[in-house]
Amino acid sequence: MNHDINVKNLRLNCFRQSKVPGEFMLQMRVPGGMVDAKYLSMVEHLSKTWGDGNFHFGTRQSFEIPGIKYEDIPAVNAYLETYIREVDETLCGADMDTVAGKPQPWDPKSGYPTIGARNITACIGNYHCIFGNCNTFELARKIEPIIFPSHYHIKLNISGCPNDCNKAHLCDFGVIGIAHMTYHPERCLGCGACVRACEERASRVLALNENTGKVEKDACCCVGCGECVRACPAGAWTRDAQKFYRVILGGRTGRQTPRTGKMFLNWATEDVILAVLRNWQKFSAWVMDYKPEYLHGGHLIDRAGYKKFKELILDGVVLNPECLVAEDIYWHETEYRSNFNVKPPALHHTAGPQR
Amino acid sequence: MGYLLTMDQGDDVLKALRKDYRVYAPKRFPQEGRYSDTDMIRYAEVESFGDIVWDTKSDFPAKEVLSPIQQTLFYFTEEEFRASKDPQKPILLLARPCDIHAQEVQSRIYAGNGGFDDYYYERMRNLVTFAMMECNGGDDTCFCVSMGSNRTDNYALAFRFSGDGALVQVADEAFKPYFSGLPETEYHPAFVEENALKVSVPDLDDPEVRGLLRQHPMWKEYDSRCISCGSCTVACATCTCFTTRDIQYGDNPEVGERRRVTDSCQIAGFDQMAGQRELRPTPGERMRYKVFHKYYDYKARFGGSHMCVGCGRCIRRCPECISIAATVEKMNAAVAEIKADLTE
Repeated sequence: MNHDINVKNLRLNCFRQSKVPGEFMLQMRVPGGMVDAKYLSMVEHLSKTWGDGNFHFGTRQSFEIPGIKYEDIPAVNAYLETYIREVDETLCGADMDTVAGKPQPWDPKSGYPTIGARNITACIGNYHCIFGNCNTFELARKIEPIIFPSHYHIKLNISGCPNDCNKAHLCDFGVIGIAHMTYHPERCLGCGACVRACEERASRVLALNENTGKVEKDACCCVGCGECVRACPAGAWTRDAQKFYRVILGGRTGRQTPRTGKMFLNWATEDVILAVLRNWQKFSAWVMDYKPEYLHGGHLIDRAGYKKFKELILDGVVLNPECLVAEDIYWHETEYRSNFNVKPPALHHTAGPQR
Repeated sequence: MGYLLTMDQGDDVLKALRKDYRVYAPKRFPQEGRYSDTDMIRYAEVESFGDIVWDTKSDFPAKEVLSPIQQTLFYFTEEEFRASKDPQKPILLLARPCDIHAQEVQSRIYAGNGGFDDYYYERMRNLVTFAMMECNGGDDTCFCVSMGSNRTDNYALAFRFSGDGALVQVADEAFKPYFSGLPETEYHPAFVEENALKVSVPDLDDPEVRGLLRQHPMWKEYDSRCISCGSCTVACATCTCFTTRDIQYGDNPEVGERRRVTDSCQIAGFDQMAGQRELRPTPGERMRYKVFHKYYDYKARFGGSHMCVGCGRCIRRCPECISIAATVEKMNAAVAEIKADLTE
C-alpha cells in the first residue's frame, strides 16, 4: 500500500482522509440538496464498487461515500464524470473550465476540481413545504455556477422561510426566503387568527383594532414568514408575487469562535443576492492577497472588517428599493479562546495586498 | 339554440354583455393562494373571456358576489340613516350547478326567514342572472350528485368551455341579441351524473337517535384535529352567518356606518352570550353543530334539500385535511351503532 499520499491535494479533490490509512471518503455535490433520485443508483454503485458499501448523508447534504482506497480514486473520479457533467455542468450551468471565474481547463476524468465552495444546502422549501416562501434548490442551482469551482471558501445555506430549519444563521452566507404580504381588509373577518398566529409563531407585529374589526401591522419588525397568510380562512392576507430574501452573515461553528450569523441584507431580491455573490471571489481574493488558503468565509470578513466587506461585496450591486443593508454588524462569539476580541493588533491576521 | 364561440368571439360577446351587466366569474389570482407559489381562484368581475377559470374549482364560492365578506349596510348620523348605495347594474353570474343550487339555499335563509326579508341580500339577488358553467366533473372532493345539486335549469345562458372557446346555449331569449351573427350549432348542456366521492346522509328523524348522536364520542376527534379557523364555512357555498359591526368615524359615536362581515360558527366566541358563556366551547362541539345544521336542521326547518350542495370546497380549504364527507361517514357509523344499541 502506498504510504506517501498528498492528503491536501486529495482534499481539494473532495476526498477526505480516513482514520484508516490509505482510505478516503468522497463528498459529492448536491446543490440545494435536491437531485433526481436516479443518481442514488450511482451512489450505490460507487459505494458497492469502491467504497465499503455504506453511504452517509453529509452534514452539508453531500453524498458521502466512505472507505474508498487511495488506489481506486482515479477509477472513482472517471466514474464521477457523468454525475458532475449532469448535475453541476448541465443542471446548474457551472463552468467546469474555470476556477473562481478564471479560465482553468478541467480534466473530466479527474473528479471535482475544488473543495473551497462547499455544497450549497437547502431545506425542501416551497417545492413541498407549507411554510416555504421560495424554491430553495432552484436558487441553489442559480448560485452554484457563481461560487463553484473555486478554492475560496464559502458555506451557503438556504432556508425557505424564517423558521430557518436549514440554519442560515450558522454559515458564512445564509439566505432565508421571506414574503412581503398584502392585506385585503375587504376580505377580513376580524377573527384574529392571523394576530394569534403572529403572536404564537412569529414576531407579534399584528394587532386587531377593536374599533374597526381590522388588523393593523407594525411593518418594521415583520419577519416575512407568511404565517398570517396560512392562518387566514378568507385569503385576506396574500404573499406578493415579488420574492424577497434575508441574508444572515458570518455564522459558523468550529473549535475557536463559533457564533450565529447576523442580518446583513433584508428584503433583497434574487437579483441582488446573485449580484452580491458575484463579488464573493473578488472579496476573498483581496483579503487573502490573491492566494487562496483553506480558510472559511466568515473569517475573511473578520480579517477585512465588516465595513470593508460591505464596500467590496456591494461594489456595483444595484440594490432593489426595498433592500435594507446593515450599517454595522456586532457578532457575538463564543469565546473559547479568551480575549479574542481584545488581542493586540499585531497578533491579528492581516488583510489586503501585502507589500 | 346554441352557438359555437372562438375565444375572440367570446371576448366580443363579453364586451357587449359588460355594457349591460357586471359579469362575475371565477378568476385566477396568481400566487395569492394559501401556500407559496399557489394561486387563488375566486369570484371577480371578468374583463376578458380568457380570465374565466372553467377547468378548476374556485377556492371560494359564488356567494361572495351576492353577500361579500364585508358589506356596508347603512350609514348613520344620530337619528338618521341612509342605506348604502343600491348596486343597480344587473349582474351576470357564471356559476356551476352546485353554486346555483347554493343560492336557492341562501335565498331561503335570507328571504322570509323569521318573517323578515333581508333587504341587502334581496336587492343583490334581484340583480343576478345565472349563466351556468357546465361542470367538467369537478375534483375528488366533489359530491354534488349525492346532494342532488348536479343538475339545474335555473339559468339564462349555459356555457361549455374549452381551451379554444365555448359552446353556448341561450335559454333566455333576452340574451339572443348578444349572439346575433355568430355561428349557430346544436348544444345542450350536460350535467355531472356521478362523482368519485359519494356521501349518504343518515336518517336523523328519530329525536332519541339525534340526542345520542350529539353525545357520541365521535365528535371528540375534532377537539384535537380542528383548529377552529372557519376556512370551511368561509369556503362553503351555502353558509350565510354574519356579524354586524358599527364603525364610528370619529369621537362622535353617533356618526358612522354599519357593516356586515362574514362570521363562522367554527370560530371560538361565535356563540358567546352575555356573561361570556359559550354554548359550544370546543372544536368538536362546533363541528357537530355545523354537521347537524348542514345535514339535518336546515332540511327539518325548511324542507327540500339539505344545506350542503356537495361542492367540496370545505374539504379543499381545510388546512388540517378534515373531510366533511368522511365526517358524514363517521356519523353513519355512529348512527348505526346507536340504532343497534336501541334495538337491543
